[in-house]
Amino acid sequence: MADKAINIIKRGGRRASEPFQRQKLHASVRAACLSVRSPDGLAESTANKVCDAVIMWLETKPEVTSADLRRKATETLESFHPEAAYLYKHHRLVI
Amino acid sequence: MINSFAIIAFAALIHASFQLSVSMLTLMSGHAIGSKSSHAKLLRLTNAFSLGVAIMTLLSLSFIAFTLQQYFSGGVPAVAWASACGLLIGLGVAVWVFYYRRDSGTTLWIPRGMARYLSDRTKHTKQSAEAFGLGMSSVVGELIFIFAPMAVSALALLQLDPGMQIVGIALYTFISLLSLLIVNALIGSGHKLSHIQKWRENNKRFLQFAAGSGLLILGFYLYVDKVVAASALSGGVL
Repeated sequence: MADKAINIIKRGGRRASEPFQRQKLHASVRAACLSVRSPDGLAESTANKVCDAVIMWLETKPEVTSADLRRKATETLESFHPEAAYLYKHHRLVI
Repeated sequence: MINSFAIIAFAALIHASFQLSVSMLTLMSGHAIGSKSSHAKLLRLTNAFSLGVAIMTLLSLSFIAFTLQQYFSGGVPAVAWASACGLLIGLGVAVWVFYYRRDSGTTLWIPRGMARYLSDRTKHTKQSAEAFGLGMSSVVGELIFIFAPMAVSALALLQLDPGMQIVGIALYTFISLLSLLIVNALIGSGHKLSHIQKWRENNKRFLQFAAGSGLLILGFYLYVDKVVAASALSGGVL
């Protein structure tokens, strides 16, 4: 599935908004799955499922914040891989 | 001598309960595993990080002890112990109230600029030398919390013979590193980071309480042992 023509408003509004990139979301979800030592194939398929679900959710939105995007991705990831979802959700809250 | 070693060991145990280095190690491992680094590389990074923490702890304690030695070469006066006790008790209360932020996760009350810098660098660390430097920086980042136990240990070190001072510094460094070494071993043996991080989050209030209480207990003990008892003796009461 291609990138969506939707603007993602960055955290705190300090940086310029940018178009949604599926690849970027895919890489972050895949990394979260690999971090909890999931096999490569499972990480890949989970990331694809999460990306598909997020893109469907984006269909109805003119623009979203990066925090919204992260929340939706976490919510979806929770149903496929709760442990990876935990790390994905908390990775900014470690230090 | 045993009294000095006990003070050093207890202060090091309090130091071990502070969590910045452990948080950074967890974050760094997560990014290394997530970017499919080999297990050998992961171990190189975590070991280099731990070595950096060890070296900086050792250097900081030696520096504080050396500086205090310049002032108190003829013996540590009661006023120095009293100041250290005040520091410990004040910090103990501060740790009880402030150590972890109220957010979920394990975010700490360290300056946010420093936390952001450490967090960004931790995520991008790919080389062992970088991990080593980061380990050293993590000790500096947490200096506001670890200064008091280090200062007390330095005062205790001054009461030992030079040979024993080296043993005392090594003992402090080893004990203060225990929590980091345990997490390092867990990561190295293949435990899931989510389990480690969840345990840390679930028990963060206990760790905060233990660290704060430890500081208060050490502060009160030293006040009685080094200040009240010494004053009583010099005043001829006993």
